[in-house]
Amino acid sequence: MICEQTKRALQRLFPGSVPAEPAVETSSGDQDKKDKAPPAPRQNGLVTRDYAVHGYHLDAQVAPGQLIEAVTILDEAEFFLESITGVDWIKENQLEVIYDFSRYDFEVCRVVIRTRIDRTAPEVPTITGIYWGANWHERETHDFFGIKFTGHPHLIPLLLPEDADFHPLLKDFKA
Amino acid sequence: MGTQNIPSSVVQFALADKLIGIGRANSLWPLTFGIACCAIEMMATGCARFDMSRFGAEVFRPSARQSDLMIVAGTITKKMMPGIKTLYDQMPEPKWVMALGNCAISGGPFAFEGQYSIILGADQFLPVDVYIPGCPPRPEALLQGIIELEHLISDWKRWKNPEAA
Amino acid sequence: MNAPILLQPDETFILNVGPQHPATHGVLRVKMEMNGEYIVNAETVVGYIHRMHEKMGEIKSYPQFLMNLSRMDYLGALGYSHCHVLLVEKASGIVVPERAEYIRAITVELNRIASHLFWFGAFVMDLGGFSPLMYALQDREHILDMLEAVTGSRLTYCYYRFGGLCNDVDDEFISAARRFIPRMRKSLKKYRALVTGNIIFRKRLEGIAPLTKEMCRKYGASSAVARGSGINFDVRKNEPYSVYPEFDFDVPVYHECDSLARYMVRMDEIEQSLRIVEQGLDKLPGGPIMPEKKPKLIKPPAGDYYQAVETARGSFGIRLVSDGGKNPYRLKLRSPTYSNMHLFDEACRGMMIMDALAFMGSLDLVIPEIDR
Repeated sequence: MICEQTKRALQRLFPGSVPAEPAVETSSGDQDKKDKAPPAPRQNGLVTRDYAVHGYHLDAQVAPGQLIEAVTILDEAEFFLESITGVDWIKENQLEVIYDFSRYDFEVCRVVIRTRIDRTAPEVPTITGIYWGANWHERETHDFFGIKFTGHPHLIPLLLPEDADFHPLLKDFKA
Repeated sequence: MGTQNIPSSVVQFALADKLIGIGRANSLWPLTFGIACCAIEMMATGCARFDMSRFGAEVFRPSARQSDLMIVAGTITKKMMPGIKTLYDQMPEPKWVMALGNCAISGGPFAFEGQYSIILGADQFLPVDVYIPGCPPRPEALLQGIIELEHLISDWKRWKNPEAA
Repeated sequence: MNAPILLQPDETFILNVGPQHPATHGVLRVKMEMNGEYIVNAETVVGYIHRMHEKMGEIKSYPQFLMNLSRMDYLGALGYSHCHVLLVEKASGIVVPERAEYIRAITVELNRIASHLFWFGAFVMDLGGFSPLMYALQDREHILDMLEAVTGSRLTYCYYRFGGLCNDVDDEFISAARRFIPRMRKSLKKYRALVTGNIIFRKRLEGIAPLTKEMCRKYGASSAVARGSGINFDVRKNEPYSVYPEFDFDVPVYHECDSLARYMVRMDEIEQSLRIVEQGLDKLPGGPIMPEKKPKLIKPPAGDYYQAVETARGSFGIRLVSDGGKNPYRLKLRSPTYSNMHLFDEACRGMMIMDALAFMGSLDLVIPEIDR
């Protein structure tokens, strides 16, 4: 099974940790309680998710330095790049970059690779050398969040005007 | 035009104006300028069921230099606006502008507090003659807009207004 | 086709296939560096219709966002709404009645046929043949009539709600749909004779813009772009959702990798969609169209979720990052045309410009979906 093989290959990036469901999962009965303590920040590692609820199988949080290695594992296993996006966690002063991968054949395995970076100086290595389609996805993420992808051949605005210097999807953006 | 003392002999311009106006109204050449969803309704109006060519306006010209009606069909973004202004300037006189759809009238559903990308309506930078509301407006609404524009261009009406009769 | 060797390095000129162009199907700009009629380099510039859907996803609540999905891809709007409602239902644990799912599948497939018909007319118009547009849009009007009677709109539908539908279909819709199916099959025969068998059409498309499987995989292409290159990928079969496992239909795959293969994939898809509509009408169960118990306020639990569907343009996905509030924290829309368009820059090097425009037409682009 491709999913098992990929899980084992990605697990090698995190020696010493065991893949598990993180403690931040809330059951549907608790969704009205707002006075819980904020969940502990998630550590780097690999987690398997319930596909019927979340829509993907493997969820790996890596350090920015391990990103290229993780993506190379997926490229060799013939995954295709679905999308790259960012999330602004302003309360934790971090930006998260999320990479979605999927497969063309009938062995369904959706893999999500995430990496967290500091909000004030966000820099992530580019994966355009491995997946050429990352070119536009990274330009768009840079447009919306200001994340610099080091090594990107042409990091200019894609969706915003060419002279745009604002990043609209940051939570503290004022038009 | 106010009353003018035209010598009763020689040249009478009023009839020529009227004829030229009827000619212009019945053969509008729109510019193929579909930006977004309303462009699909514009194309549907040009096709067999709603048939804009009954009113003389089916000759869509891709080049601005050959058209006299710009139908702004879709949302205008700040990135696109200089292009639209250039196209409008390239059109020869006399020219008219029709704002098709809510986005071209006032930004439509994309005008929200904190928006950063669109221009709130074509009339912010173009002189619009006819506004056709809808999201998207039905092809019949576009046809009515063309007819209203014809009334603006010439004094001649296709049919009597039933309420006024 | 290979570009001829440049005699002088400064012999190229830049041709701007500008935002306003009849063949670009929307506001798309391609800066082409040309050597005579051959393209040396192309750079696509998008963003001319960036309408801030993802920002609106964060500002609007879940029900308020329902109308945005139709404006993204207006030709196949119901498929996009389907993805959004499936995602929120999955995240919130809302169970959809079976009748609603069947009606959703029927209307999505009718919308897919309408979208492919429009693509077909516009594509042949790009190549110079104007009449098929008239025929195709006339057939499309029949579908639009049916959908308008049920949803209230011709183009930008807002028909699905979280849990089901807003309006039930009546017997008139069912009998109109049953009358439409043989009519459409007759029209497909006409299109095959008029267009597919036309020697000029075939010469314009055969061998044009071959896309390898590797290229499709690196760019994440889907729909006819991948299926025309021999990749058997259709989200309805690979990752079944909704009631699609109940239907018996094929996924057309062609291996020639050229523009003609992509065209044939879409024409065959119309026939397969007709099969699904037929089976859906036969199997349509009775019952309610909304669940009895539904949360008053839609607030999916905190976490992130993903849902993919197969729309007319390919594999559309939405990633929802929720913090448990009534607005999404982040809503990412993965649009298929974005990935399909991206490979245009690399694939059209060395082509003649007329072939590049035929290639662009075969990709089935809807630009507001790229720019969101």
